[in-house]
Amino acid sequence: MTESQPKPQTVADDKKVHGVVAEFTDVDSLLAACRRVRDAGYTKADAFTPFPVHGIDTALGIKPTVLPWISLAAGLTGTTIALLMQISLNGQTDLFEGIQYPYIISGKPFISLPAFIPVTFELTILLASFGTFFGMWALNGLPKFSNPMFTSPRFDRATDDTFFLFLDAKDSRFDEAGAKALLGELGGEYVEPVMEDDSSKVIPKGLLIALATVICLSSIPALAVLRMRVTKSGSPRFHIFPDMDFSPSKDAQQTTTLFADGRAMRPDVPGTVRRGEMDWDLNFKTGIDMDELASIDAPRAAQLVAMQSDVAVDDEDEVAPEEAADEEASAEEPAVEEQAAEEDTADEAEPAAAAETADNTPWLTENPLELSDEALARGQQQFNIYCSVCHGMNGRGNGLVNRRAQKILATTWTPPSNMHDPTLYSDVYPDGKLFSTITNGVRKMPGYASQIKAKDRWAIVAYVRALQASQDATLEDVPESQRSGVEKEQAEVQAKLKAAAEAEAAKAAEAANAE
Amino acid sequence: MSLAIPNGLDNSNDRPGQRAPLVLGDTNYHSITEAVCKIAEQPPSRAWVIGFLVSVHLATMLGLCIAYLIYTGVGVWGNRAPIFWGWPIVNFVFWVGIGHAGTLISAILYLFRQEWRTSINRTAEAMTIFAVVCAGTFPGIHVGRAWLAFWLAPYPSLNLWMWPQFRSPLLWDVFAVSTYATVSLLFWYMGMVPDLATFRDRSKNPYRRAVYGVLALGWSGSSRHWMRYEKAYALLAAFAAPLVLSVHTIVSFDFAVSQVPGWHTTIFPPYFVAGAIFSGFAMVITLMVPARKIFNIEKLITIRHLENMCKIILTTGLIVGLAYGTEFFIAWFGQVPEEKFAFVNRAFGPYWWAYWTMITCNVISPNIFWSKKARTTPWIMFVVSIFVNIGMWFERFVITITSLSRDYLPSAWAYFSPTWVDWCMLIGSFGLFFTLFLLFCRLMPIINMAETKATLAKELHMAHADHSHEDDH
Repeated sequence: MTESQPKPQTVADDKKVHGVVAEFTDVDSLLAACRRVRDAGYTKADAFTPFPVHGIDTALGIKPTVLPWISLAAGLTGTTIALLMQISLNGQTDLFEGIQYPYIISGKPFISLPAFIPVTFELTILLASFGTFFGMWALNGLPKFSNPMFTSPRFDRATDDTFFLFLDAKDSRFDEAGAKALLGELGGEYVEPVMEDDSSKVIPKGLLIALATVICLSSIPALAVLRMRVTKSGSPRFHIFPDMDFSPSKDAQQTTTLFADGRAMRPDVPGTVRRGEMDWDLNFKTGIDMDELASIDAPRAAQLVAMQSDVAVDDEDEVAPEEAADEEASAEEPAVEEQAAEEDTADEAEPAAAAETADNTPWLTENPLELSDEALARGQQQFNIYCSVCHGMNGRGNGLVNRRAQKILATTWTPPSNMHDPTLYSDVYPDGKLFSTITNGVRKMPGYASQIKAKDRWAIVAYVRALQASQDATLEDVPESQRSGVEKEQAEVQAKLKAAAEAEAAKAAEAANAE
Repeated sequence: MSLAIPNGLDNSNDRPGQRAPLVLGDTNYHSITEAVCKIAEQPPSRAWVIGFLVSVHLATMLGLCIAYLIYTGVGVWGNRAPIFWGWPIVNFVFWVGIGHAGTLISAILYLFRQEWRTSINRTAEAMTIFAVVCAGTFPGIHVGRAWLAFWLAPYPSLNLWMWPQFRSPLLWDVFAVSTYATVSLLFWYMGMVPDLATFRDRSKNPYRRAVYGVLALGWSGSSRHWMRYEKAYALLAAFAAPLVLSVHTIVSFDFAVSQVPGWHTTIFPPYFVAGAIFSGFAMVITLMVPARKIFNIEKLITIRHLENMCKIILTTGLIVGLAYGTEFFIAWFGQVPEEKFAFVNRAFGPYWWAYWTMITCNVISPNIFWSKKARTTPWIMFVVSIFVNIGMWFERFVITITSLSRDYLPSAWAYFSPTWVDWCMLIGSFGLFFTLFLLFCRLMPIINMAETKATLAKELHMAHADHSHEDDH
């Protein structure tokens, strides 16, 4: 530091005095002076030092700061935020319904306090640190770039090696001459008044323009993003990171320049049979007697065969051809009939009138599946999985989905068929048609070809027939050896019913007597 | 103002029975200011320019590698099944560890009133920030789609429709490292404000004065400000101290909470923290020994400072050695076959070279510091600190790679080989670190002038008051 000679400060008449400052060259004399100033009754005196001087707080009578309390409050806020955040976001509460994250991780419970400790700790420290850091600057009134002290050129050394003691003009005891005298008496060098900073407080125009320009420019990326998000342009958006949005592979129905025919979906190579297609049997897969169909409706049969052999995706999947067949049929047959064919699921509860109109499709009337206990058990299992939700376990059409739909009065709901309706018995609704319904669906019911294998669909058909038979069964249908058991059960049930009815009656009578 | 301590050679470590001075020579407050400010005010030395050019080139290489990685995908790394936690995680843990010495020196030594920290804490804190910058790079690009790394933040996303998993150590990591970086930055900056005010007040150039003026926030050195400032500094130190311990503990949870043999151990948190302090102090020495020479601040960073750090390196080196031994003991004592195998495999398996490099560098080399001669000879310290840095990098390599390459199923064993991208990123991260550090040396006060002056004032006071008085708090 150059030992520049102090410029004598001239007191301009129009300037207000901010205070009086004196320099000291070592800590001990500064501390002594501070004590004297405090004892003289100055409360707004301040010292400026290049480093923290210990003991100066008491020497000047500076009160302790509230900063630790700010830190504590900020820290506790962090703890609270962290716990609430984790419990609400991972704790499966209803606070943010729909965006919870109820995954079980390492078998920890959803509200797992030990697992929440690290984040809680970190947020506590983070907020406490913010509170301390920003709280300290706020209490100090910083940043504040204008300070009357800075107008004194000698004051630059306050951050180097010189100690300043300052008596503020706002102090009630302050008078300039007295303050100067006191400081001089205490050993201060260069005792000088400090003037209020009267430099212009207007921010230079250039700075404002520069600031505005920077703000405008910095908003460009945000605006660009905003525009990209709302634009309805037909051309693809600009992708900085393509991720896997664009793939060289082709989607179904797309064109390609790679093949002469322009088709991206390739047909089978002629003369080859795909894996799993050797066993296909059109009757088994459509529920229609194809030979007969060929004789009465050759074009439709031909189309079915063509669809099966060309586009059918795999051995179990005959949705496409069958639908095509139905459409074909509807074109040639009375519309009402076709609708009936499409009606409902595993079976048809639909109006008998429609079903009885001419359906000339030669449905298979016999289940091609070899009937056995296993086949029926399989059919029952598959029925219970796929069909019972709507049709009910007993097939009466009152499954859980239907009951729920009735309860909420779903307006678009079509109730599922009751399979015990006579129009669905095998004499009017052949097995092949039932099979076709399961395969292709009807009304609200979707086709199940993709979920249930053909063999299992036939097993379901068999089970449905068994269900239907069960509801009209008499004791004569039960094998001789088991009749007595059934009769016994029947007697027991009837006894119970009777007892219940009697109890009910007695209760009613009692109630009547009481009144 | 001048000091009663004789102006002469560095005598800071041979005054038995008496505390060695922390500031040497014919030093006064102003000469401290001069010594520190000169570094930033004078034109850069040739050594600085060469170092800076090399570092910038390496940092650019890192940038290009990251661009290549993001554009192409993480497949350019050597991470392959079963070693998906390869090189980048090794680098991450290494760099986070380096950062620890800074906060430790600033916070814990401050709380223990260890005044010898005053001349080295600023550099050490800067080192922390830059090391955390290097560390943060790796998990950032390790997530695969780096541009979606913000999904880790718990923000109400309308696209993602879910929240971060707060029961996962990988998320704890995000909070721990980002909190650590933020608090370290506040701590570092706050400590620098009075010194930036010194820079401001010395600046002749109006632009320079304006920039430092803004950074110094209008600091005037008022006693009322100092009082709150010191309180805030003590509070931040108190917050940062447990934070140091928590960060590496949580980083170690990434490993310890898993089931991989060699990772699933309760020793990991203390062992990682000790290792981090060990490597951090080694890095401080690596930086300080040349820096005090180049910038001519040997009177402020004395042999006593360096010797103290050597003692810490020796201590933590022994702790780390003990941890290695304990791991073996527990693997044998626990009688879990996979665990036993994991440790035998570390020492004698395909990565034996990495393991024995680690042992040589971390356990054997610091023992030279039992000798006072070694503790007080800068070039020996420098060499040992380099060894320790290498050894600690290999420690993370050994932990990460050996456990993953041979865990439970021999059918899933594989050998990890880094690609050229892995190598360039490791070297480039050093480039980034040194670029930032060299810039810091030129632009910021590398020694805490205010605190050093306070220390000097205390010594002056004691020298005046009573020469025989022993200051033992």
